Amino acid sequence: MIRAPAIPLTLRVPLIVAVLMVAVGVMASQLVMAALATSHERQLRELARTQFTTLSHALAPMAVREDVWGMFDLLDRSVARGAGLSAARLTLVGADGRVAVSSDPRAAPIGSGGTELRAGAQPLDGFDYDGDAERITLRSPLEHRGRALGALVIDFDARGLAAERRAAWRWLVLGNAAATLTLAGAGFVVVRRLLRPVAKLAAQMQPQAGPPEPFAPERIPERDPELARLYHSYNQMLHAEQERVDAQLRLAERERLAGLGRLAGSLAHEINNPLGGLLNATDTIRRYPDRPEVVHSSAELLDRGLRHLRDVVRATLDAHRGGRARSPLSTADLDDLRLLVEPELAQRGQSLDWRVTARDGDLAALPGGPLRQIGLNLLLNASAVAGEGGAVGLEVSADDDALCLCVSDTGPGLDEALRPRLLDAAPVAEGGGVGLRLVGELTRELGGEVALDSTAAGWNRVRIHLPLARRGEDAA
Amino acid sequence: MTHLTPSRDGRLTRRAFVGAATALVAAPARTANRPFRFGLTPVFPDDERELLDHLEEYIAGAIDSEVEFVQRRTYKEITALLMLGDLDAAWLCGYPFLQYAAALEVLALPLWRGASRYRAYVIGAAGRDIGGLDALRGDIHAYSDPDSNSGYLVTVSELVDRGERPEEFFARSFFTFGHSNVVQAVARGLADSGSVDGYVWEVLAARRPELTARTRILWRSDWFGFPPIVTRRQRPAHGATETLAAALRAMPRDPLGRRTLKLLHLDGFAPAQGADFSGIAARMRMLGEREE
Repeated sequence: MIRAPAIPLTLRVPLIVAVLMVAVGVMASQLVMAALATSHERQLRELARTQFTTLSHALAPMAVREDVWGMFDLLDRSVARGAGLSAARLTLVGADGRVAVSSDPRAAPIGSGGTELRAGAQPLDGFDYDGDAERITLRSPLEHRGRALGALVIDFDARGLAAERRAAWRWLVLGNAAATLTLAGAGFVVVRRLLRPVAKLAAQMQPQAGPPEPFAPERIPERDPELARLYHSYNQMLHAEQERVDAQLRLAERERLAGLGRLAGSLAHEINNPLGGLLNATDTIRRYPDRPEVVHSSAELLDRGLRHLRDVVRATLDAHRGGRARSPLSTADLDDLRLLVEPELAQRGQSLDWRVTARDGDLAALPGGPLRQIGLNLLLNASAVAGEGGAVGLEVSADDDALCLCVSDTGPGLDEALRPRLLDAAPVAEGGGVGLRLVGELTRELGGEVALDSTAAGWNRVRIHLPLARRGEDAA
Repeated sequence: MTHLTPSRDGRLTRRAFVGAATALVAAPARTANRPFRFGLTPVFPDDERELLDHLEEYIAGAIDSEVEFVQRRTYKEITALLMLGDLDAAWLCGYPFLQYAAALEVLALPLWRGASRYRAYVIGAAGRDIGGLDALRGDIHAYSDPDSNSGYLVTVSELVDRGERPEEFFARSFFTFGHSNVVQAVARGLADSGSVDGYVWEVLAARRPELTARTRILWRSDWFGFPPIVTRRQRPAHGATETLAAALRAMPRDPLGRRTLKLLHLDGFAPAQGADFSGIAARMRMLGEREE
């Protein structure tokens, strides 16, 4: 079944108001017409009764005297030629059933049969009136001092009355229609105006290009408490959402700084370790300048130590300044990762199982920066959970379609509460695990997937699968 | 009794003027504040308000007295009021005049189409064939007044003369108490035929042709003496009665009088001497003999 598109509330309510007003108008018209019909019928009865009573008083003495002209003159003058209810023809049917006189002698000549005429008329007391009838014939007995003189039969022309009624009906309908339409239109406009703030609110809540904007204070309809509350609630909702986003950003920053701090500590340790040996080498050179083999071996030691320091510094800079973020991934990046995490592992007396089978040709299909962040975060996490003397593993392999970056550890496994941070794209509650979320987001941005499983040795493992977008060149 | 006698050239003679002046001076003393009461019967086409106003103004001016026109439904009522002395004069039909000829006298005779005579008409609906009086058998007939010559006596006596019984000749008859009512009754179809004053019908034909056009004259009678202006032989209370006759005869020489006469469709008024109601008397005898 096809459903018609829903009419918006701001149009539906005014339309309902208009329809209700039209219904009320129609009902009012019906009531007035019914009242008018009753009034007309009463008017007809009263007019007829008055006509009969007046005429009978004047006619009876003439009928007794058989004053034909007098009666004719009276009846003829009673033929009204006006609006409303008028007598069109008046006929006196004598007691003998013959026409005594008629205001229309050609139609009812004196002495002609009047029985049929009398029978065709309704009695004055208790006649039926059809509102649309143009003519109504009534009769009433004529008496004079107890003597029956026959019956007065009057044909009333109700056309005027019917026309009056039709005219009233027409004007009523026209007037009511105009009033109803005006009211309905006004109702429509007024209600639509009343609902305009709701329409504004709905428009404001529609998905927009930018972030949702709160209502400016001057746009809040303070005069309408309910609507104002609605507007304020909307603004508060936006405010709360903004605060939530801000809090998350602050938290992420804090965690980044915390990581940096840890890394800085490791670095300091890493730099400090060879410093003793290096200073010892310079001291040896100074003490034995005349022994070339000793100077040479000390210089070699110094060179290695300084190179190591240079590598450590470069790797740190690359990881945190993003200098190589846009460069393709290479095995050098993986070597940097190792260099960065090894001091952390060494501090905890942890062993590292490092297996990189993927070659530069495979790795180049992926950006270096995000992969370094993913690897570093996972390795640091693994180290954190593996505990003292634990083990951490990294395996980077590639097939035709995808690169697999797996980080494993001998820790107790990823906490259930933290898993959604890594696996789901949906917003999560505030708290720790910012690194995990970063991993998840970066993976999804690269079109990859995250999965959790265990290695054959029973280590807990995080598997990152990243599709390789090869640019027409096959892996070597 | 002083008469205002117009001379042959239509102007008042000196003697007549002096006589009239004397009468005018003498009149107020006898009439005091009482208006002159003039009775009118349906012989007179009174359906124009202007006519009554003119006639009143003219007579009042001529006799120097307030004039009051008295109209009743029947001839009989006017005759009775006149006999009683309640009226000073009346425009009566020749038939009631003859009925009370001993007590009444003619003051003046209206002149219509050059003579003081008129005819009775029997009229029918416009489309009806003219077949004479015999063709009216079985009609519903409208008479004017039982004391009217043209509106009753002529038709009835004519039928009697033809050996008919009027009460059986017509299927039904009724009185309308007015010549114009007879014309109306026939025009509207209330009556199949009617007896009407020829003068009144002609005046109506001029004034309301749409009414008379719905009727047609089926039969015309002989000529009869025109309905006269009469008064009691026994001197009436109002002294101006004498003056009235002269004033009526003098109408054609007065602008207001001429306007009044025009409305009446009359040429003027003739002296009483020329009165001839023998035709009516003959009809009365005809009816009287039948009743005997």
